Formats: sequence, C-alpha cells, structure tokens
Amino acid sequence: MASKNCIRVLSVAVSLLLILVFSVSAKSEQKVIKIGAVYPLTGNIASTGLDCKRGVDLAVDIINGKYDLDLPLAKSAGLPNLGGAKIEIVYADTKGDPKNGMSEAERLITSEKVVAMIGAYQSAVTKTASQITERLRIPYVCSDSSSPTLTERGFKYFFRVSPHDDIFARDQFQFLKDLEKKTGQAVHNVAVLYENTEFGSNAGKAYRKYASEFGYKVVADIAYPANATDVTSEVGKLIVSKPDVLMHASYITDAILFTRTFKEMGFQPKGIMTMAGYIEPGYLAAIKADGNYIIVRSTFALDLAKKKPLVAKVNELFRKKYGMDMSENAARSFMAPFVLAEAINRAKSTAPEAIVKALQDTDIPGNETIYPWKGIKFDPLSHQNIYARGTLVQILNQEYVTIWPFDSASKSVVWPFPAWKGRK
Amino acid sequence: MRNFTIRQIIAGVAILLLLIVFPLVVSQSFNVHVMILVFMFGMLGVAWNIMGGYAGMFSFGQAAFFGIGAYTSSYLLIAYGINPWIGLVAGGCAAAVVAAVIGYPCSNLRGHYFAIASIAFAEIVRIVFNNWQMVGAAEGLSLPMQNESFANFLFNSSKLPYYYIMLAFLLVSLAVSYFIATSKMGYYFRAIRESHKIAEVMGVNVVLYRLMAIMISAFLSAMAGTFYAQYILYIDPGSVMLLATSVQIVLISMLGGAGSIMGPVIGAAILIPASEYTRVALGYKGTGMDMLIYGLLITLISMYYPEGVWKLFSRLGRKLK
Repeated sequence: MASKNCIRVLSVAVSLLLILVFSVSAKSEQKVIKIGAVYPLTGNIASTGLDCKRGVDLAVDIINGKYDLDLPLAKSAGLPNLGGAKIEIVYADTKGDPKNGMSEAERLITSEKVVAMIGAYQSAVTKTASQITERLRIPYVCSDSSSPTLTERGFKYFFRVSPHDDIFARDQFQFLKDLEKKTGQAVHNVAVLYENTEFGSNAGKAYRKYASEFGYKVVADIAYPANATDVTSEVGKLIVSKPDVLMHASYITDAILFTRTFKEMGFQPKGIMTMAGYIEPGYLAAIKADGNYIIVRSTFALDLAKKKPLVAKVNELFRKKYGMDMSENAARSFMAPFVLAEAINRAKSTAPEAIVKALQDTDIPGNETIYPWKGIKFDPLSHQNIYARGTLVQILNQEYVTIWPFDSASKSVVWPFPAWKGRK
Repeated sequence: MRNFTIRQIIAGVAILLLLIVFPLVVSQSFNVHVMILVFMFGMLGVAWNIMGGYAGMFSFGQAAFFGIGAYTSSYLLIAYGINPWIGLVAGGCAAAVVAAVIGYPCSNLRGHYFAIASIAFAEIVRIVFNNWQMVGAAEGLSLPMQNESFANFLFNSSKLPYYYIMLAFLLVSLAVSYFIATSKMGYYFRAIRESHKIAEVMGVNVVLYRLMAIMISAFLSAMAGTFYAQYILYIDPGSVMLLATSVQIVLISMLGGAGSIMGPVIGAAILIPASEYTRVALGYKGTGMDMLIYGLLITLISMYYPEGVWKLFSRLGRKLK
C-alpha cells in the first residue's frame, strides 16, 4: 500500500520536475542586443504566428550577416555604430490570449532584459502587450497588427510601420475612383460584409465611413459570425440588394465558405474587394480557380519584384531558408527588426529614451523596403508610418497579381468580374 | 464540521505569512504574476465549488459571470467615471441577478442537462456582448490609465498591490466557502447534491437553495472579473467570456478536489504554474511540447487522484493533529 502511494506521488512529482528542468534554460554570454517578440506560436492561429516568425528570423539573419541588399544594415555585419553588435530575438508564445501578451511582454522586459519589443499579430494582444511597454517605457515597433485603434491611443513608445484597416478601406475606395478615371466604368453603390469580431467590425466601420466620404451609397450592411457554417441567407440579402461592388472583411474559413456560396447562388457584382482571409496561404489551396478575379488588399506581393528587384532577392533568401515563397504575413513582420535596428544604430545606444528619439527621426527611403511605399517615417503624434499604404492584388490564374496602385501594377485589372457561368 | 487544532492553525498562519513575504523576496515580476493568476483562478475555483462541489450543479458557464463582472465595472468606469471598487460590488450584483434570472427556469435541470444549459447560457452572453455596441462590441473596452492609487484600483509601478488585493479576495472567498460548508446552508446544499427528492422530503426548499448557491458563486466570480479588468486594463468577449476559461475553472476544481474547501486552490496552485512555466520554457519553439506536458500532468493526476489532489493534503493535515 505504501509503495503504491509512493508511485503515485513520484509520477506526479516527476512530471512537475520535468517542467522545472525545461524551465531552466542555458543562457548564452554573447554580447548582443536583445529584442523581444510575442507571437501566437501555438494554438488555433499558430500557423500565422509561425509565418510571422519566419519573416522576423530572416530579417535578423540579414542584419547580423553581410548581404548585398538595399536594406538597412544589410551590407554590414551587425550594428556598426555599436561595434558590430548582433541582434537577438527572444520569442514568447501568447497562444493568442491578451493576458499572455501582457505577462510575456513584461517577462521579456524584466527578466530577459530586452531593450525593445515587436510583434503580436492579433490586435487585441498587441493592445495589452503595448500597454506594458508604455508603462515600463520600452519602445514597441509593430508591423503586423492592423487595428486602427492601436495608433489612436497617443502612446509615446508605440510605433507602427504597416498600414491599418482604415488605410486599407480608404485605398479600396480610392481604387474605385482611379478606375473610373482610367476606364470610365462608374461604380455607384457598394455592399459591406464583415465578420463580427474586433477586426471585421472595425473594417466595416471604416468601409461605411469612406463610402460616404467618397460618395458611394451603401446598399447592404451585413455582419456575420466568422465561424458560421452556412451563409446562404447573407448571400441572399446581397443578391437582393444588387450592389455594384462587394467589400468583404473576413478571416480564412469564412472567405472560403462565402466564395463557394457566391458561386453556387450566382452572386454577380462588378467587383469583389476583400481583406485578410482571401490572402492567407490556405485560401487558394482550398478554393483553387474559383478564387480568380477576386481583389484583395495586401502590403506585399511577389510580383512586385518586376519593379523592385530587392523583392526577388529577399524571396530567394526566404526560399533557401524555408523552402517556400514569402507570404504576406512573413513580409509584413519582416520590416520591424530593420526599423528597430536602424534606429538603435543611429542612436548609438540601447537606452529606451534614445531609441524612441531615434525612431521619431526615422526616415527610411522606399527603395530600402520590400513594399511599394515612399518610405518609413512616423507621424509625430500617432506614430503611424505616414507613407504606409496598401496595394491591391487580384487573383489571376490562381496567383496574386498587383493591380493597384496603377504605377506599381504588373498586370491591368480584370473588371468587371467575369460571370461564374462562362468559366471552366 | 471539525474544529481546528492548534497545530493546524499554526500551519495555516505559516502558509499565509509565506504568501505575504513571497513577492517581497522574489525578484522577477513574472513569478508574482503567476501567483496572482493562481489566486485568481483559485478564487474562481472556490466560487465554482460552491455550486458545483457542494450543491452538485456542474456549471460550464462560469466565464459568463466572470465577464459580466469585468464588463460592469469597466463600463461604469469608462462611461460614468464610477470608482472600480463600487463597480466591483455592482458587477457582483449584476452577475448575481443574471444568475437568478437564468437559474430559476433551470431549477429542474440536473446533472448533464444543467451542464449543457450552462454552456448555452455562457455562449449566449458572449455573443450578446460581441455584438453590443454600447460596451464596445467585438472591439472590447480599454480602461483609462489613471493615476495609480488604491482608491483607483490601479497600480503602474508595482505588482505588489495587485498581489495583495487578489490574495485578500481569495481569503474572502475561502471564508465564504468555509462559512457555507459549516452552516445549515452547506448541509442543505449537500442534501440537494445527493438527491432533489430526498432533500425536498426533508423540508429543504430546493429551488431557493439552488438559486442561492448560483448567486453566491456568480457574485464571487464577478469579483474576480473586475480584478482581471483592473489588472490587464483591456477586456473583450474573446478574452473574458471564453468557453475555454469555463472549462479551465472546472478542471482546476475537479483536479484539486471538488466539494472540499481548499481543493480548488490546490488545483490552481498546481495547474496554473504548470501551464505558465511550460509555456515560457517551451512555447516559443512553437512545437506544442508545453501542451503535451501539461496534458500529461492532468492525465496522471486524474489517474492517481480521481477525487482530487486534496486527498493527499488532507492526509498531511490529519497528521498535524
């Protein structure tokens, strides 16, 4: 009896010990600049988090090594102004929970002594993580969360490189205006469709705002839960409202479901313009040719390489390291380490106040980024990159092809949306 | 129930003293954060235990009460500038009222059916909050960063006040739980748990006492919710009303020992550090190893201590006599 009890206590104790052993990790003694990164590395959006991590890891390789690329600090090994110091990213897993975003950011700063933070991807997690950096006065450079509210808080230590959903929404209406000017095809009204969590409802709000600003009538305004399993009633409402253009903010599973239902029910507007879900790597894999002609907002597409050789070179490195093409998520997260490293190098210091001051003076020209932007420069108040803008890509032959801004386009847009019936 | 012996009282006081000194000697704030979570989930477990452990109503919807508490105090603070301490009480009352409204029609539901109804209830609450524009809908609520003070229930420079406040909350909920367990009410609850019919025959007002158990449990859960909002300073339905949180609360209470006073606290003291430290040590690799070890721990405990780890500790406690 006593031995049986012993076994019980032992086995539970051993598994607890296992946890302890793993917790005590060996610390290296190299002289490096540590930057903290929080991403959802396990859990239901782990694939996206790992995608972001690939982008960040490649960026760090380029900063720390010598590469013949037009990216900040690529040509030198490490940070020349700090004696060639290397960047090291300390990752932490949020599991997509805002509570973990807060505690991990704090742990990275207080225990791991990181001098700056990047990441989070999900806006709700970025919110709590950046509250901690603001409290502890540590700079946070975000290039992968798109909720407009993040840069509306007036934070002193928070900077965002990438465009937010408000900019993306405005771009889509700007495209309609540009299209009208170029081809004379007028659009009069739009339908707005969005999933009802933080991301979608904010995008819906932005769509409504810019529709009235640009003078388009909203003929349908439909919210739905992202995990819906049947959307025939939503698509029915869309068909009845007869919009010229559909604007859709979705995640991936709902994007797939809606595309199938559009085809089944023959929903046929002049254009379908979308956000997020339609550009996830899994979308085209599931939907194949039925995704053709749909337009998605993006910050990056591989065909930008035609006008920007840098994109091809970076993608080549990415392929070599991971055996796959660079996705939009990886490309967005890619830039934050450069912005931080460039600022730290200019500040010649890792003191938070010095880094923040350097970030305020950041002025990276557009040709040193992999995006079709004029550059990176932060608004003095909101700290949003004033040059950040979206591009629009259209799915043509099951590939994402840049079609707007027209001066960055590699092919011209197919408009209006070809009928479902005539397709193969 | 039993009276405490002097040795047991000394042991209790010693543990309490250790907990009070702990954050003063531990340098890394992450460890303090983990203890705060232990207290918070311990309190949620104690609250669950009052209805689940004593009265036999297996609720898988505690996150709804937790969320209502968080939302009530946050909304009152943001919209009307009402002090979060008042919001704390208001949130507790709101949760208790909601619990009564939903609990009354469910008074005939037992066992699995009650569990299913509680899941449905919590999901409905989450969906309502997800679409309710007045409380920020899916965007959630960001709490203003006011000046730090005890009166504002807000502390920027140190975690210590949060630690002691949560410890005090936990002690309050333990006191409530102890009082219930040793009073007439506790016997009524246990009678209801064993059989509604027998309890009724003995003259227990089943509907009334079930409602009381649900309301007390809801009130305490909502208090923890207000604490969470003041601690994290950002809430949205996706983080405070998740089914996963409800399940975690049940898991903590069951593994610790349902029906005992200290069981849920012991459950929290084992499971929360296990999940937090494995995530820190292994999560960054993105391999899911931490979840495997966590799962292994849960499996081992449920194999060897099906009645809860509490059994082991209560044996130690008896030896102290």
